[in-house]
Amino acid sequence: MSDAKEEPRIGVFVCHCGHNIAGTVNVAAVAEMARHLPHVAFATDEMFMCSDAGQTLIKEKIKELNLNRVVVASCSPRMHEPTFRRVVEEADVNRYLFDQVNLREHVSWCHSREPEKATEKAKDLVRMSVARAAKLEYLPIKSVDVIPKTLVVGGGIAGLRASLDIAERGFDVILVEKDSQLGGNVAKWTHLFPSDESGAQVIGPLIHDVKKHKRIKILVNSKVSEFDGYIGNFGVTIKNQSTGKAHRYEVGTVIVSTGFEPFKPVGYYGYGTSPDIVTLAELQEMEPGKQLLKSSDGKPVKKIVFIGCVGSREPGKKGHEHCSRHCCSATAKAAGDLRDRVDEALVLYQDIRTYGKGHEEFHRLARQKHVIYSKFPQDGHPEVEVKNGKIKLRWFDVLGGVELQFEPDLLVLASAMIPPVDMDETAKMFSLTRSGDGFFNPEHIKLAPLTTHTAGVMIAGAAQAAKNASESVIDASGAAAKAVGLMAQGKVEIESTVSHVLPDICSSCHTCVTACPYGAIAMDEEHDPPVAIVTEAKCKGCGTCAAACPSSAIVMYHSTDEQILTMVEAYLCATPGLQGGGSV
Amino acid sequence: MTEKKQAALIVGGGVAGMQAALDIASQGFKVYLVERTPSIGGRMAQIDKTFPTLDCSACILTPKLSEVAHHKNITLLTYSEVGTVTGKSGDFRVRVRRKARFVKEDLCAGCGDCAAECPVEIPNEFDMNLGFRKAIYVGFPQATPNVYTVDKENCIDCGRCLKVCQRNAIDLEMKDKTMDLHVGAIIVATGFELFDVSQYPRLGYGHYANVIHAMEFERIINAAGPTHGHLVRLSDGKKPHSIGFIQCVGARDVQKGVPYCSRVCCMYSIKNAVMALEHYPDAEVWVYYADIRAFGKGFEEFYEMAKKRFGVKFVRGRVAEVMEGKNTGNLVVKVEDTESSKVRLIEHDMVVISPGVIPSEGMHTMATKMGIEQTDDGYVQIDHSFFGPILTKVPGVFVCGCADGPKDIPDSVSAGSAAAMKATIILSKGGV
Amino acid sequence: MNTEVSTSMKTEKEWEPRIIAYCCNWCSYAGADLAGTSRIQYPTNARIVRVNCTGRLSPEFVLAALNMGADGVLVSGCHPGDCHYTSGNLKARARWALMETAIEQAGVDPRRVRLQWASASEAQIFADGVKAIVEQVRELGPIRSEWK
Repeated sequence: MSDAKEEPRIGVFVCHCGHNIAGTVNVAAVAEMARHLPHVAFATDEMFMCSDAGQTLIKEKIKELNLNRVVVASCSPRMHEPTFRRVVEEADVNRYLFDQVNLREHVSWCHSREPEKATEKAKDLVRMSVARAAKLEYLPIKSVDVIPKTLVVGGGIAGLRASLDIAERGFDVILVEKDSQLGGNVAKWTHLFPSDESGAQVIGPLIHDVKKHKRIKILVNSKVSEFDGYIGNFGVTIKNQSTGKAHRYEVGTVIVSTGFEPFKPVGYYGYGTSPDIVTLAELQEMEPGKQLLKSSDGKPVKKIVFIGCVGSREPGKKGHEHCSRHCCSATAKAAGDLRDRVDEALVLYQDIRTYGKGHEEFHRLARQKHVIYSKFPQDGHPEVEVKNGKIKLRWFDVLGGVELQFEPDLLVLASAMIPPVDMDETAKMFSLTRSGDGFFNPEHIKLAPLTTHTAGVMIAGAAQAAKNASESVIDASGAAAKAVGLMAQGKVEIESTVSHVLPDICSSCHTCVTACPYGAIAMDEEHDPPVAIVTEAKCKGCGTCAAACPSSAIVMYHSTDEQILTMVEAYLCATPGLQGGGSV
Repeated sequence: MTEKKQAALIVGGGVAGMQAALDIASQGFKVYLVERTPSIGGRMAQIDKTFPTLDCSACILTPKLSEVAHHKNITLLTYSEVGTVTGKSGDFRVRVRRKARFVKEDLCAGCGDCAAECPVEIPNEFDMNLGFRKAIYVGFPQATPNVYTVDKENCIDCGRCLKVCQRNAIDLEMKDKTMDLHVGAIIVATGFELFDVSQYPRLGYGHYANVIHAMEFERIINAAGPTHGHLVRLSDGKKPHSIGFIQCVGARDVQKGVPYCSRVCCMYSIKNAVMALEHYPDAEVWVYYADIRAFGKGFEEFYEMAKKRFGVKFVRGRVAEVMEGKNTGNLVVKVEDTESSKVRLIEHDMVVISPGVIPSEGMHTMATKMGIEQTDDGYVQIDHSFFGPILTKVPGVFVCGCADGPKDIPDSVSAGSAAAMKATIILSKGGV
Repeated sequence: MNTEVSTSMKTEKEWEPRIIAYCCNWCSYAGADLAGTSRIQYPTNARIVRVNCTGRLSPEFVLAALNMGADGVLVSGCHPGDCHYTSGNLKARARWALMETAIEQAGVDPRRVRLQWASASEAQIFADGVKAIVEQVRELGPIRSEWK
């Protein structure tokens, strides 16, 4: 165990990250500067700090030079802090005695045209980190038991799949669905792709298995009304929306599979002005009878037109910039299927994105059946006019270079997948962030698509981004694996970065009690006089209490006033010899 | 019932296989991860940057490599191949052939003294044969395990490496070994190959030095690659000022037996186009495409950024022909711009072909050994799109990553986790 | 704290604004990361100090930075309503008005400080914010001209 009182002996490791950092920042000069900073016992630069060689170097130097603090100047700590914390720990240095400098995202990549100034900034940041490292304190590593039960929010295809997998693996599940029925969007659809089943055929057996499973408790008509706790030990209150009754449960992990909503494209292509203009989702919900009938007059549909990218791919329009992924293939499938029942079928598109397995085949099949595809320009969308119940369509066909007109009996708008209306509520409930498309942000877009920044809370299916049913099923099983991984271990480590009240300084003013967003601070009545006390398990480490305390009686571990201000001081008040690059 | 730990076998150490391994191992089950090449990491290790965030691929992958290598429940069997498979779900017997790497894994510290001494230089497969390695080698700096391998086909048995190795880790007499595993579940994560673009002679690959393919481009712009990250032409080492990217080569082409879309080429090319402009902001970069398929999370936004902020030019049309100019090494791309119906001739000093994705080599043999079905395209046939997108037709054998069709990294990772879920359901039932 | 050292060796002509940027870990720090991965270029003058939440920042952190010689201070957090810790950023916003008054009383131009919201996906907004405060402070000149 490292003793915080021990004289700091800091090792500084500056990473080249190949060319990523070293191509802009003079890493050798940064390491050289670091070598002369107070408490620094060792400083070097190395090709890839995260590689096995880099990790071994850190461990060797810790042992060889008896280092008790480590600074790695490389990439964003949001990615690699866990990696390096593990490395120092393997060499018996407490993980909280590690600090990382972000020379890549915050320096080399955003100042690539200014190598000298970038190097100066890099030196400053390293100096700041070294100052902070010297002030860092040992914190205990705490682990907690994981309650072997998962809360699954949303009973669409993803939620059902995740619930079933977890139950089959031997853990309990609470499945909450706000609707009165399970099944979500998929249950309503008549033309799934790429297989030939209807939504009901796919979702039916799944619902059956879920209902039958003893380990799954299903709560329909219900919503999560309160959520607190931390990884492994969440408290959740679920309220039945019709009865108003609420019940509290304890769960260890959560999977949010709240799906999407088909965009109602009011204001697009005459939607809402004629019953014969529908969205693809609405078409999917129509009776799959032999003949397709117009909603307006009940006559058979002879001419059908699909328009793609409705409410998708609109640069600059918040929440509508993304591609909705499923529509091109869904359109190809629907157009191909319906082609046999109508005289003419047209698809107006920008790009045809039938990317998945078997999807290109639908597209090809649709064309073979003489579905006509016509590309319209990004900056000149088709125009729709509804007159006397007739739909008149005009657009510019890019590939033919001509203006075209058509009067469809039925106009189908392949509208975007957007987040459900209560997405914001869900985001706040589980402290999730949303990306530009409005869906939830995963922990890492490439390598951690199913976990989130709220430890213990996973996302699956269209809650994460627009995607089709098959992809959602894969996500669901994947998210289930993440939840089971935590529960099977039975224990999980939690952060020690919580706040702490110094009882001798506390003036019992209650400011922190009201400031804490988690109700983690209460008055310790057993103390005389009563002073504030933090329930560590409830504290999430935001530090709001520390900022609010008028007596400076609250220490925010790993983010103390001193640890923060020493960085500021190291930058602004550096002794001349140790200043940055100097702008010569 | 037995108290013995249940085990899973994963075939393929790319990003999908690694994710599956981690998610099984984290539940306390044992994992054997078999990888054909000397290191895990797969294709992702070769890639320079990833779309749509332009993260450095090696940087985000290396922690995964070391996590897999250090996990107490994972046994890495690199440079190994699956021999025979018998048995049934919950009770498979698998024979694995461990190819002799002529270096003892437990003794080698990866110091590289041997390679420095080795007199033989041969093209490095990891660098798409653009760079060189020795006959005793590691493919790339972050190779995991960090153990050298002797390429016996090219080794001249001079014995110089033996003399410099202070740990006596080299054994040039080493023989292949077999290992018998007893596992409850198997995951196939054998990945993909790139379509051989020389099958399109009209595009000039293999004839013109400055026509390269995308994976070669990745290696060229990579700091650890053959040019140390300097984007140059192969003919004369000059900086390219104008680069053309040709899409859908070996994809969406019924004639060449690849009717399907390869899913990743649009995005990796846009990413490479952006990276080219990152290197040379004054360069002209063109992409010749059929449809831009920017369908994943953040992809469309990235495509917009490439157009607007970086000024990548997009021309819709399949390239008819690439011709080489006299003496200059420059290339002329002949393409019908379908948006203006005009045939255009556009000069570039570098052309990058975007090859489609095809099933990995040896997929058929593998499928036969395991008794799993294949699609007409040669990928693993999944059981059902909705009920079993990661199940094969053989119970207990699962599939993830590109083994059942082209996928990008997040989709492969997600499928890796999903396969782990399915496998652990079987393992948790015990019974072996 | 020492204001003397902050009047650094650099001469007036070479003066470059020195900015302390307090960023919350979940939104703005991530937004700055995204600015990097998206290769958005912005001025090099800001030094980011990562805090868990802008709610962690008492006015003292801003005042101390100015006192130690920062020419400007940027505080960047999650959008109101989007805080990872539910409402820390609202606390920061509430304190901000107080803080502005305090620095004005100390004779420092409140235009030297900037509070902004930039989410993890708003790389451009983050970069623009840095640019804005650097330009603003450049106009105002070095801080030492103001401290009385």
